[in-house]
Formats: sequence, C-alpha cells, structure tokens
Amino acid sequence: MKTPLPEPGAPLGHYVSDAPFDPYAAERKVEELKVIAQASQFQLMWWQFRRHRMALASGIFLIAVYLMIAISEFLSPYNLHTRNIDFIYSPPQTLRFMHEGSFVGPFVYGQTMRLDMDTLQRVYTDDRTDVQKLRFFCRGDSYRFWGLFQSDVHLVCPAKDGEFFFLGTDRLGRDMLSRILYGARISLTIGALGVMMSFVLGIVIGGLAGYHGGIFDLIVQRVIEVLQSIPSIPLWMALAAIIPVTWSPILVYVGITIILGMLDWTGLARAVRSKLLALREEDYVLAAQVMGAGSARIIRRHLVPGFMSHLIASATLTIPGMILGETALSFLGLGLRPPITSWGILLTEARSINIIALYPWLLFPVVPVVLVILAFNFLGDGLRDAADPYK
Amino acid sequence: MITRRATLGLLAAAFLPGLARAGGGESKYLKDKVDAGELPPVAERLPKVPRVVNTAALGGEPGVQGGSVRMLIGGQRDVRLMPINSYSRLVGYDRDLKLQADILESYTVEEERIFTFRLREGHRWSSGDPFTAEDFRYCWEDVILNRELLKGGPPTDLLVEGKPPIFSVIDDVTVRYAWEKPIPDFLPKLASPIPLVLALPAAYMRQFHKKFQAADVLEKHIIKQRVDDWRGLHIKMSRQTRPENPDLPTLEAWRPRTAPPAEQFIFERNPFFHRIDENGTQLPYVDKVVMNVSSPDLISAKTATGESDLQVANLDFADYTLLKNAETIYPINVLLWKRTLGSRVALVPNLNCGDEGWRKVLRDVRVRRAMSLALNRTEINKAVFYGLGQESANTVLPESPLFKPEYAKAWAAFDPDQANRLLDEAGLDKRDDEGLRLLPDGRSAHIVVESAGESTLETDVLELITDHFRLVGLGLFVRTSQRDIFRSRAIGGEIVMSVWYGLDNGVPTPEMSPLELAPTADDQLQWPVWGMYYATVKTKGEPPDMPEVQYLVDKLTAWEMTTTEAERETIWHDMLKHHAEQVFTIGTVNGISQPIVRSRRLRNIPAKALCGFQPTAFLGVYMPDTFWYEESA
Repeated sequence: MKTPLPEPGAPLGHYVSDAPFDPYAAERKVEELKVIAQASQFQLMWWQFRRHRMALASGIFLIAVYLMIAISEFLSPYNLHTRNIDFIYSPPQTLRFMHEGSFVGPFVYGQTMRLDMDTLQRVYTDDRTDVQKLRFFCRGDSYRFWGLFQSDVHLVCPAKDGEFFFLGTDRLGRDMLSRILYGARISLTIGALGVMMSFVLGIVIGGLAGYHGGIFDLIVQRVIEVLQSIPSIPLWMALAAIIPVTWSPILVYVGITIILGMLDWTGLARAVRSKLLALREEDYVLAAQVMGAGSARIIRRHLVPGFMSHLIASATLTIPGMILGETALSFLGLGLRPPITSWGILLTEARSINIIALYPWLLFPVVPVVLVILAFNFLGDGLRDAADPYK
Repeated sequence: MITRRATLGLLAAAFLPGLARAGGGESKYLKDKVDAGELPPVAERLPKVPRVVNTAALGGEPGVQGGSVRMLIGGQRDVRLMPINSYSRLVGYDRDLKLQADILESYTVEEERIFTFRLREGHRWSSGDPFTAEDFRYCWEDVILNRELLKGGPPTDLLVEGKPPIFSVIDDVTVRYAWEKPIPDFLPKLASPIPLVLALPAAYMRQFHKKFQAADVLEKHIIKQRVDDWRGLHIKMSRQTRPENPDLPTLEAWRPRTAPPAEQFIFERNPFFHRIDENGTQLPYVDKVVMNVSSPDLISAKTATGESDLQVANLDFADYTLLKNAETIYPINVLLWKRTLGSRVALVPNLNCGDEGWRKVLRDVRVRRAMSLALNRTEINKAVFYGLGQESANTVLPESPLFKPEYAKAWAAFDPDQANRLLDEAGLDKRDDEGLRLLPDGRSAHIVVESAGESTLETDVLELITDHFRLVGLGLFVRTSQRDIFRSRAIGGEIVMSVWYGLDNGVPTPEMSPLELAPTADDQLQWPVWGMYYATVKTKGEPPDMPEVQYLVDKLTAWEMTTTEAERETIWHDMLKHHAEQVFTIGTVNGISQPIVRSRRLRNIPAKALCGFQPTAFLGVYMPDTFWYEESA
C-alpha cells in the first residue's frame, strides 16, 4: 500500500497465477453443492453434528446406556432385592484373570468374613486357594422381565455357591452393581418421561398463548408467574405428601414424573411464546394464513421448525435437570421410596458419616450420575450447533 | 413396721456421721471468690453430714478437682439431659438399682404409706440459701395445693385413690408425708430420671408467687419473661427439668450459667454440693460442663474427631466402628454399655386406631401373635446388630431379677407357617391378586407403619420386616414423620402401627412400678387413648374396653396396694406373663450395646454398665460428679 503509484503511463505492477485455468470449475462446483443443496434438513444436521466429536461420543454413550436399561434384569448379576446376610458391607472384589501364573479366565477369589471384635468391623479377606470362575449367560436369581415373564438368565453370574460383588455390597448385603443397574432404569426414564411431559405442556400452552395472544395469553402468563413464584422444595414436599404410601411403586414413580413435568413446563412455555410472538409477524405466516391454514398447522409446520434448535437444546439440558431433581427429591426422602430403587435412593442410603469413612464404595452411584449428566450436556451442545446447519 | 428400705435409709444415716467433715482443700476454681469473701470456705458450705461417696468401693479411685467436660447436644432443649445425668435426688438408685438417701440424710417408711424425710443440717441451695423443711412446705402448700397454679389439683403421682397425703413439718429438717393407703411407687418416683418435685427454693421462688409478691412487681416480671400470667411465670422460673433459668438455685452438682437462646450452655460447679469423696474432697471433681449445640446427624462425626469429652446422647450402635477407629487418632476411648431397652426396635400395633377394620383385626391376639412369629429375628440381629443382640420379644432383660426365658421366647420364634395358619384362623384367609391377604372388610392388608424417622436403624429393620411380612401375605409400607407430629397422630388414632423402642426400663426390680406394662400414659403407642384416660385421672380419653387390657389395669392397681416385696414380685410376673402371651408390642432384638465415648484422661467411668433413660438416668447412677481428669487441664 505504501508503494507510490507508478509514474503516469508506466505499467501497473500485477500478479498472474501460473495454475492451469479451468473454465468449467464453477459448473463442477455446483454439481458438488447439489448434494448439499438437495440434502434433507436431517442429513444436514447429521453432517454438522458428526463434526462435534464430544457430542458424538456422548450420544453413543447415552444410546448404549438407554439400551442397557432396557435389559437391566439380564445384565445385573443379582436380583434387586437379593440379600446376602453373610456378606454385609463387602468391599468391591477385584476381577482377576491370572491364577498362580496361569490364565484361567475371569474369576474372583472367594472371601471369608471375620468380625473384628475390637472395632466391630467386618473384615473380608481373599481366600487365595478358592478360585471362583465367573459364568456367562448363566442361570442365577430369578426375575420377572419387565414384570411380564419369569426368567433367570443373566449375562454374568458368580460361580456356583460363590459370590461376585464387583462394586461391593450395602448394609443388607445387596450387590451394588445390580442396584445401580436397576436404579439406572428409574433415574434415566424419569428424566426422559418428565421432559416429554413438560415439552407437550410447554409447546401446546406456550404456542397457543404466543400465537393467539389476548386473554388466553394473559391468563397463561399469570398462571406461569404464580407457578414460578412458589418455592420449589415446599411445593415438592406438599405434592409428595399427597401421594398415598400404599400406592404401588409404579404409581409412585408415575406420580413423581408428573410432579417433575408439571413444575418444569413454565420456562419452556415462556420461551415458546416469546419466539412465536416474533415469528407470527413473518410474511410466510401471513401467506399460510391467507392460504387458509389453521392455527395448529401453522404452529406445527411453519413456526415450530423455526426454533427447533432452541427446543432441542433445552430438552437435552432439561433431562439432566430432571434426573438431578429426582435424585434430590429421593435424597431428601420425598421422592421414590424403597423398594423401588433409583440413583437418588442409593445416594440417600450413603449419606451418613459412617459410610463416607468406612464404606466409600456405596458412594459409587455418583459416578453414573455425573457421567450421564455430562453426556447430556455435551449432546445438547452438539445438537444445538447442528440444528442450525445454515449458520 | 419397718421395711427393708427403711433399714437401708437408717443404715446410711448411721454410717455417715462417723466420718470426718470435709478434709479436702478448697477448690481452685472457687478460691478467688472465697478469698474475696463472696463465698464461705468449703467446710462451711457443706452440710453438717455430707454424703460420702466411697469411690474406691465403687471400683474407681478418689481424684482431684478441676477441668471441664465438653458434651454435644442435638438441640437447645437437650439441656434437659443435664439434670438427668447429674442425678441428685432426694432418694436415688445406686449402681445395683437399690434405693438410697442422697439429698436426704435418711428416711423412714412405715407401712408403705408414712414417709418421714430427714434433711441434712446445714445443707444449702447453690445460691447459699439454707435448704430446709420450709422449701418442702412452700412447694406443698403454696404450689401443689394452690388451685391457681395447679388447676387439676395435685399431680396424680401423689394421689392414692384420689387422695393426697397429709403433709407435716416435724422440725426444721424433718418432714412427713402420710397417706391412708400404701403408695409403694412413691420413692421410685422420687428416684426417677425426671423426679416428682417436692421441694422448691422458697427464698427465690417467693418473688414470683402472687401470695408473697406485690401485684405491680409481679406484672413487671410477667412482661419481662413474656408469659401470660403469674402461673406461667412461676412454672417457667421454677422449671428444674430443663435448667434454662441460671438464677434458679439448684441442688445438682453443676448449676447452669447460660440462659437460652444459646449455642453453648455452660454449667459450673455448685459450691454447696452435698457430696464428698472418701478423702473429704467436695464433689463434683469437674469444675465445668460445657454443652455445645450441634446438628443431631453430626454428633457422631464430631465425637469421632474428639470434640466431646463424654458423649452418650445421639450415639448409636452403628457408629461404634467409626468411633473405635477414631481412638487411634484422637484421645478418646469408646466403651460399650448395654441398653436397658426391652427391644431396640419394636412394632407397636395401635389398639386405639381410628380405622375400624384394622382396629378389629389388631385386637385379635392371633393376628398379633402371627405378626410376631413372622419376624425373622435372626436375620435382623445378624444384618443390623452384627449378631450381637439377643433375639427376644419385648420384655425384661436377663439382667433383671424378674427375667424368665419364656417371656423372651414367647411367640418370638421364626415360624411363617404357624403365622399363616393363625392369620387364616383370624379371618384373613382370602387373598387379592397380588397375593396379599384381605381384611374381613374386603380391603387388602396394607399396613402403614409410621416411624419418627430418627434413626436409619429403624428403616433398615423395617426393610427386612417388609419382606418377612410379605411371606405371610401382609403388605408393609413405611411413612416417616417427625416425633411431635408422630405422637399427636398416634393419640388421634391416625396411626395403625408404629415403630418405636420397646420397654424403657428393661431391668426393673419388683420395687419399681410396672406402669409401663399397663395403660398409664398417652405416649404409649399401643393404647394412647386408654393411657391418656389414666394419665388424666379419667378426665380425658377412654377406659379400656378389652378385658385383656383391663386385666393389666387391675394388676397395676393391685400392685399399688401391695406392702411386701413377694406380692410385688408375683404381680410383676403375672403382668409380664400376660404381656408375653398377648404380644401387645412386637419386639425384635434387645440387649443392644450403646457406645459411650469418654476422654482418655477421664477416670472413674465403669467399663461395663447398663445404660438407659429408665432406670439408670443414662449416666446418672454412675455419678458423673465422681468423674475426674487424670491430669487437670
């Protein structure tokens, strides 16, 4: 820039590329772009999503976890309620492959329990001569799969007359691994179901309020304000107290889901409403109206896709909120009740000082809670980026 | 007739004067005040005949004064543990649960109805005012008989067939209570952890009494103390069970120095305490007791980090391992004493419950027996108590002279077949589609067991019991609430079954009243309404309409008329046998250990002992005033 202009009449300094010139390059580019241009919205989202490595990994992890909870009964070595009075507070057993220098496949050493009369602590020692080979696809505790049919096939079982506590046992000698697997089913579905419920409520109520405005909007807004101004813990307590104790665990579970869903839709309804207030002024909405579309169709086909990215992001971010909500409720003793088991229940049982000092493996359910919540957050992040592929 | 008790009282009296008066030196803690002339020297502070505690004979050793003991309490109201643990009573139990004169110099009992108390000459309240017959007279004439103060008249504990005793002052240090009929549980009530009050510091209390105080001054007090009337004022200022008034003179070993609200309550030695050790050193040894308020959940953790020098309250058996492991890090020592409870966890069917269907079923003895037979006590013992407890019905412990193995074994074996049979016979022979029995009125047998939610131990046991009950076709559900709500719901009949402790006093002697076995109080969860009937002298509640329970009432009445120990023992056995057969409460495991944590330097605490509210007043009978620090801090 600093170089002064050449003398008048002298040639301008310039650059000429020596690469070969292809006059049809533009046409070929269009051919390539055609794939993108003709790709569906979903495909575009997938391409975008694939580039977010963390989100992809999280997504795969979550799918695996949700597949697992469908077959908890099969995966867990013991039944949820199997007690082993002789193995109370047994620490996690080490899974081994080599015995005395030779490979024998996965096994655990048998344990002997001794009560230390001085500290009244149960001391477990490995019996190095007692090799208990694990069995796979084996018959163990019987269970009712999904409460439908009786079976006793497990992925992995302890040796006959042996025990296998991969994550230790709790105060009644119940296997922690099995309890975590069963607990996952409740904790993970309660989040998904709760979110579904709050979504339906949020989109329908928020959508109608935003699209129609007027008196309906006014009422909905005030109701939301009232709902949001109620402190949540006392409200939970009140709602939880309404659920009669004699209800079956399944009904309580549904009840808690409804409670969580009922409290959560307000924020989403507001977001939907404000977005619709803006979008309904767009020309394409007017066009649709002129063409005679009803409000349900306009909202569904023309407006909702417009803020899909927001919806997806908030859905994935709400699920962990729900899981934590259930955990917190159960931890406070307001949510689910034994015998139904969720991660919150497992953590409630592990909150005394004794556990932290002496039996730390009972705190293990924290790990799946953290992993699942992180995975949902990463997934939500990736989906939000992907949902707006044109950006 | 002079009974054994009277003899004991006389013996104590004859033994004492032979000993020299306070030979020990002045307490360092009080020395400044004595030198300044605010307090008289120790020889003048003690009564002429102090109570000599022979620590060596009790298995300990005489110690030195000084130091302070830190304790943790779960809330401000728990300062009430102080007068229980300190345990100075007119008449108190010793370690063998025999009655002996404590504050009194001696007493005589004639025909179990005329009680003559002799006070210690020169005995003073912690304020320095003399403790004389006048304090008894004030308490009797101006408080107990004052209709304005006690609207219902004298407390039922003092009535025999509705009649109070005749009170007379013989001389300055002798008073007498004379009834027309025997009242055998009069002395045990004086020795109870929360005793019957017969004496109040008249010199101090008169200022709050309408009869002795000008109306305008009284009014000022009423406003200052934020009470409704002078009655409330008098009750508040004279409350001895919760030492919240630091100005109220006391006869206990330590006097309160803190008024609530506070996070820390300080008690300092009572300069006029009436006990000395065999060397003549005035007790208590420890100068100060400091009670820190903490959250109940945290007490075991705090104790395990050495924040308490002497801890019983809020420690549970399950904390033992944690505490024991802390021994290597902090200078504490954990002892295991034995709880005196008849059962650590007991199921209590409410015979007064409002649910008519359940009430009928629970009143059927076969149902109660079946529930008891359905429990697998061995599993409960193993799972929750390391197998160290005794599987037993809710009855007295083997340590009690009244124990018989058949009481403990009655309907306490694990026999689901017999339980099923009994339930079938009782008319619960139909089942619903979940396999639960149907009540005669057609509902499924869902039992909601309510718990005060104070210990995880109860929850664990209930979880096991849920499965045991399932085997006999009964569904069990747990609802947790909070102690006060729980009590009022029980009285209101809203609770069908509750989970609570068994008998408070599992080590009774025939001399102690069997009132826990019969309806006598509204906190008896198996029959709160009938209990209330007798607790309120038949003004509230209802009389029992079950002959089985009426039997217990009659037996208790008979016990209250007895004059000899043999009669009392027979009646005790009648009642225990009846209790065992009727299974009014369903016991699980008893003889559970209670961890006691002490500072390693604290001496004279027995290594093995019984511990409970009744009858040992927690630490009370082991006399915490004789505990001392090896090297004074």
